[in-house]
Amino acid sequence: MKNLRILVVLPFYGGSLPIGRYVASALRAEGHLVEVFEAPEFNAAYDSLKDLKVTTDRFAYLQNSFLNVVSQAVLAKVETFEPDLVFAMAQAPLNHQALKRLRRDGVTTAMWFVEDYRLFTYWKAFAQFYDIFAVIQKEPFMSELAAVGQPNAVYLPLAAQPDFHKPLELTPVEQRKFGSDVSFMGAGYPNRRMAFRDLINHDFKIWGNEWDGDHVLKPLVQMKGARVSSEDCVKIFNATKINLNLHSSIQADELVTFGDFVNPRTFELAACGAFQLVDKRTLLNESFADDELATFNSIDELREKIDYFIANPDERTSFAEKSQARVLADHTYQARMQTLLEFTEQRIEGWPKAKTESGFMADYPPELATEIRQLLGKLSLPEDVSFEDLVWAVRQQQGKLSELDTSILFLDEWQKLYAKRT
Amino acid sequence: MKHYLIIQLARFGDLVQTKRLIATLCAREKSTVHLCVDTSLAALAQLVYPDITVHSIAAHGTGLSASEAIKAMLVDNRRAFAELTSIDFETIYNLNFSPLNFRLAALFDPDQIEGYAWHNGQEIIGLWPSMAMRWSNYRRISINLVDFWAGYCPDMIAPELVNPVATPKRGGIGVVLAGRESRRSLPVDVLSQVTKTVASSKKAEKIYLLGGNAEHAAGQALIKQLSPAIQQKTENLAGKTNWSDLVDIVGSLDTLLTPDTGTMHLAAHLGTPVSAFFLSSAWCFETGPYGEGHTVYQAITDCLPCLETQECMYDVKCLGGFTDPKFQRFLVTGKPEHAPENMIAFASGLDELGQIYTPIAGIDPDAAQREKFREFIWQYLSGKGGNVSDLDTVFAQKVYHERDWITHGKPRLTIGI
Repeated sequence: MKNLRILVVLPFYGGSLPIGRYVASALRAEGHLVEVFEAPEFNAAYDSLKDLKVTTDRFAYLQNSFLNVVSQAVLAKVETFEPDLVFAMAQAPLNHQALKRLRRDGVTTAMWFVEDYRLFTYWKAFAQFYDIFAVIQKEPFMSELAAVGQPNAVYLPLAAQPDFHKPLELTPVEQRKFGSDVSFMGAGYPNRRMAFRDLINHDFKIWGNEWDGDHVLKPLVQMKGARVSSEDCVKIFNATKINLNLHSSIQADELVTFGDFVNPRTFELAACGAFQLVDKRTLLNESFADDELATFNSIDELREKIDYFIANPDERTSFAEKSQARVLADHTYQARMQTLLEFTEQRIEGWPKAKTESGFMADYPPELATEIRQLLGKLSLPEDVSFEDLVWAVRQQQGKLSELDTSILFLDEWQKLYAKRT
Repeated sequence: MKHYLIIQLARFGDLVQTKRLIATLCAREKSTVHLCVDTSLAALAQLVYPDITVHSIAAHGTGLSASEAIKAMLVDNRRAFAELTSIDFETIYNLNFSPLNFRLAALFDPDQIEGYAWHNGQEIIGLWPSMAMRWSNYRRISINLVDFWAGYCPDMIAPELVNPVATPKRGGIGVVLAGRESRRSLPVDVLSQVTKTVASSKKAEKIYLLGGNAEHAAGQALIKQLSPAIQQKTENLAGKTNWSDLVDIVGSLDTLLTPDTGTMHLAAHLGTPVSAFFLSSAWCFETGPYGEGHTVYQAITDCLPCLETQECMYDVKCLGGFTDPKFQRFLVTGKPEHAPENMIAFASGLDELGQIYTPIAGIDPDAAQREKFREFIWQYLSGKGGNVSDLDTVFAQKVYHERDWITHGKPRLTIGI
């Protein structure tokens, strides 16, 4: 499936935000025309409402009003862009009213709920308003979705973005800064805090935030617990001998919880060609074979395996290469988007709608052939792109436009005003 | 040398009505003024504004097949766009609320544009045209389009410097057969009556019927309704004149009888007296002839001014004043007591802001409110005045919106210091 128009609606912030950006990038790589709703740009204004010191009812009213404006902004973008699919990431700012409006207008919507449904239970309030609901867990979530009126749920595990999550040549300075025998990159959930106390005798670095108040681990926490950029994460993955990947839990009774979903770090580490020790998950075997990932079932086993793999670098390399090959073959965001779009096509009758597009690209003046081809290359568009999609891609550009760009926009509007009328 | 570009992609009349803005920019020290128009109007633009540089692009819908349009837009227009971007413009005045103007603006930095701009794919309407859109709900008290476009410049030239005071040129009478919008023009039988009356009363030696190809048949029909004596003096030039001919003829006339047309504005530009018939959607306070010495017969039924795009629910009752037999007598005597009902005869004149019309016959019920509105606009544009009236608050609430001052209104921010 090629040449779809897809509007990706990002959340204000949070874990699903970078995933949304990977999704947009993957969809573009698949040859689709992608427009992104940049909700993060609205976040500072929304946050500033908290500083008003007003009554709670006024505060709630203002927040709702603001979110309504943002939802309306998404609708306006849909109206102009006319996407085949509105693809919302978890926590995307689309309220009920907006979703109902999209459904009424026949706009197909999908959400990728990249959250733990047991913790983020708000899905019950809106899952039924989306046409397609992609999730990272299976039963009983699927049945529960069906029970609330969402018949089109699809299992869509997380993935990696190979042009970003990749092996890097680090400088000696970067290697020193980001490297260690053992590291963990992530937030300080209770099970991790408890588990990592047993590892303080290693050359161990902890990266990420929400590690405050833990005196034992404090010396290991890097950059004073500041948030780590996605770019630096990749450097950490590349610089570390053993990357720990312990899925989070809000309780500390069971440190390895044997939960179901596989976190994004699993795929990202693998795509980097980095070695990881990951706790066993019930859905892990759906994505990786036993010889592709080194796993542990308990903290005792984790300790043993750290010692083992520190002493056996070749084994680390073997796991890393296999997991990397598997991710590149099966677990990229591009592959996920293919799955999602195929699922949508199966479930939504008549989707995507046939387009009445002009065959302009065959008619352009021959003297412009080279320049138009260059423009298509610059905009990453296929040679058989429709005129409508070319116009939109030109419009997406920032700043002043070239004479050719402007001529194309001008022609489009001229046709709307005159040619198509007759 | 500072270069200014005006983008005027509308029609004949609009081109001429851009004069005060063009003249203002020409009057600036060391300025070169450029005007971008549709190809069909380039020759006229150069005739009307000989001292400026005219750039032409294909923008109008006439005369191009779809495939010709592709070539015209991508090859010819592109060449013209390259010519425009090769010049370092100080300011670009983009005058028309049209998707074509918005797209053309993409060539330029939005901060350099007055009017209709393009910012990273978003169409942006400047503050001054936004204000005009808001007061378009109050068309009866509106200001003249010539003054509106000049209003983009705080240093706009005095209105009396725009057009010469109209005086008869002794070359006969011109009759414009119809404008683009038929409901705004007098039907042939009414226009023939008017022609007979004026030709007789003025003892005209020559009568020219003016218009495009489409009006030629109407011209022939009109001639048939004239007396043989007047027929002999009448020449149907509809469809037979090029721009240069039209300028020569209109510039030689004693008077021009016309609905609201481009030829009417050309006459005002040349200082030829105009007797204009305004009805339906034509409202002289918006688009009447500019300058002193013109007469406008403005229909004044309660449904006016209407929108040409909307069907008339009242059987074009605004035509009643013109079909009333009293109108022919009034054309001769000019006495208020002879004026038909539902019509005001106005004499054109000027105030500080620009074009005004003063009743010769009939009562202008909106005059007081219009005067207050003009004071309000004049104060906004010039910073002069300041006698706050009760109406100022009402106007301010209608014309200024919160976002004008709460947020930065690109591409123009006039309010504030």
